[in-house]
Amino acid sequence: MNVAAKIIPPTTATDAPAPSRRSGEQLLKVENVVMRFGGVTAIKGVSFDVRKGEIRAIIGPNGAGKTSMLNVINGFYHPQEGTVTFKGEQRTAMRPHVAASQGIARTFQNVALFKGMTTLDNIMTGRTLKMKRGLLAQGLRFGPAIREEIEHREVVERIIDFLQIAPIRKSLVGKLPYGLQKRVELGRALATEPELLLLDEPMAGMNLEEKQDMSRFILTVNETFNTTIALIEHDISVVMDISDRVVVLDYGLKIADGTPDEVQKDQKVIDAYLGVAH
Amino acid sequence: MLYREAGQFKATYRADMQMFPIRQDRIAYYALLVFAFIGVPLLAHFQIGMFGRDYVFKAVLIPFLVLSLAAIGLNILTGYCGQISLGGGAFMAIGAYFGFKFATGFGPLMALPMVVSILLGGLSAAVIGVLFGIPSLRIKGLYLAVATLAAQFFFDWLFLRVKWFTNYEPSGSVSAPELNFFGYIVKSPVERYVLALTFVTAFALIAKNLVRGNLGRQWMAIRDMDIAAEIMGIRPLYAKLSAFAVSSFFCGVAGALWAFVHLGSWEPLAFNIDRSNQLLFMIIIGGLGSILGSFLGAAFILLLPFFLNQVPSALGLHISVETVTHLEFIIFGALICTLLIREPHGFAKLWSLAKEKLRLWPFPY
Repeated sequence: MNVAAKIIPPTTATDAPAPSRRSGEQLLKVENVVMRFGGVTAIKGVSFDVRKGEIRAIIGPNGAGKTSMLNVINGFYHPQEGTVTFKGEQRTAMRPHVAASQGIARTFQNVALFKGMTTLDNIMTGRTLKMKRGLLAQGLRFGPAIREEIEHREVVERIIDFLQIAPIRKSLVGKLPYGLQKRVELGRALATEPELLLLDEPMAGMNLEEKQDMSRFILTVNETFNTTIALIEHDISVVMDISDRVVVLDYGLKIADGTPDEVQKDQKVIDAYLGVAH
Repeated sequence: MLYREAGQFKATYRADMQMFPIRQDRIAYYALLVFAFIGVPLLAHFQIGMFGRDYVFKAVLIPFLVLSLAAIGLNILTGYCGQISLGGGAFMAIGAYFGFKFATGFGPLMALPMVVSILLGGLSAAVIGVLFGIPSLRIKGLYLAVATLAAQFFFDWLFLRVKWFTNYEPSGSVSAPELNFFGYIVKSPVERYVLALTFVTAFALIAKNLVRGNLGRQWMAIRDMDIAAEIMGIRPLYAKLSAFAVSSFFCGVAGALWAFVHLGSWEPLAFNIDRSNQLLFMIIIGGLGSILGSFLGAAFILLLPFFLNQVPSALGLHISVETVTHLEFIIFGALICTLLIREPHGFAKLWSLAKEKLRLWPFPY
């Protein structure tokens, strides 16, 4: 348990149950995606949708193809078959930086921060797409360039405040404890002001307290900024608590899709997790 | 006790984002500038200490300044953007030869003023740098280093064999036109020193601004984790090629200065692979990803041999000149090894550690 997380008071808890967003319009639709790596088929024709404003969880045993699915959504992998429709625009392959400019941000299973940079700089990179000043203006750092820098710094400072990481603002992220690195990574993704936030195991390797903090951050992001969130998580109790709908993958196939309650009772899901007698 | 930022509160982001947020650093920076711009020429004028000798300016200070600038250029590419380059010397050569062509009449152009020629020399290097940076979109690390080596050998060959670049001088060596700056002819070593210092100060400032701005963050993001950078919306094409352009521009300007201000007349040999290696050693020893480190590395490589050379005579030892030279090599090599074992991140890291300690001194923590 890191010291910083201990002394930080918990954020305002969300007491009210999340309103049902099952009727919202579709933000993302994945249709019949097939992803092969040589002889291995990681995703075998999976379809599901993510509605605007919801928290959508993707769960499944190890090797089910969850991370591959996220990689397909944000353009890191290009599926052999199937389509990804985001904001009504259908495409089979797009470059990750195009996905970012469309409003998709993500965090990684193994923290992928820029280790040689400070917390502040890491989160500032999230603002890259929104910064317009050219090379010359930045080099001379006169009026407009510095004003732009300050403007974005203000946004970043609000994120830093929200995530309660002000004390580590100027520390190199490579030296931070794991829990804080995860939080900085969330900050970096938030700095892009995404419409769809993909979280790959945001709570992996955390203790109970850190998980609670992270859950609160995710819920607050979802409610205050109305950001749609798709997350992968292994901690089933967390998933059942915070997500609106859950899709379950197993060996690259979708075996269940629905509200946490429905999914929990699904025989196929239970079999996938507990194993089944042959 | 002296070096402490207690009580220095920042009320605005502008104040927090300045180059030297700590007041003591700011004072030291301005004091150093004043000393370099006014103090050194004054000392030279009154022939005080080592600054009284022309040799110090010609063989120590001017090379130090110019190669610091080249080291900053290479550091932008290798230290900040993580693209190893062995072509630093080639881009210096491009700056020198194209600067020379612009200064003496490039094709139908008339001879351009000195400042414009130097900057255009840098710009030519930037354009060629982008071309040679294209492989970086496909290959990484040591393989890229080998690809940049191609630039080095190609330009060595080009400037030696294509007589047009040397204005058909039969000897193959070219002489810089007189250093005419807005009507003022720069001649004496001290004037040349001030000229080099002006360029280096201005460009170091620009480099510092770039690396702490949006572009610098993009470079470092590509260096630290290129996949995550792309997912954050950074275009690798733009980030890498802009690093190549800016880096080559700096190297090109440094090359033009090296040729015009330091050498006066030169051959392609002045910019061979040894120069590229020297620049790479400077930034490794000084600190990758640090503007200050570029200066410290250049100082170490250039100034230390000079001082080592002075030690035996200063101690009153009578050793033959040859032995002194050999001793110099031995000690210099040993120092490099010790430094890199003790602190692989170079002088810049040592410097920041020292500052951390100074903040707490005289208490251990």
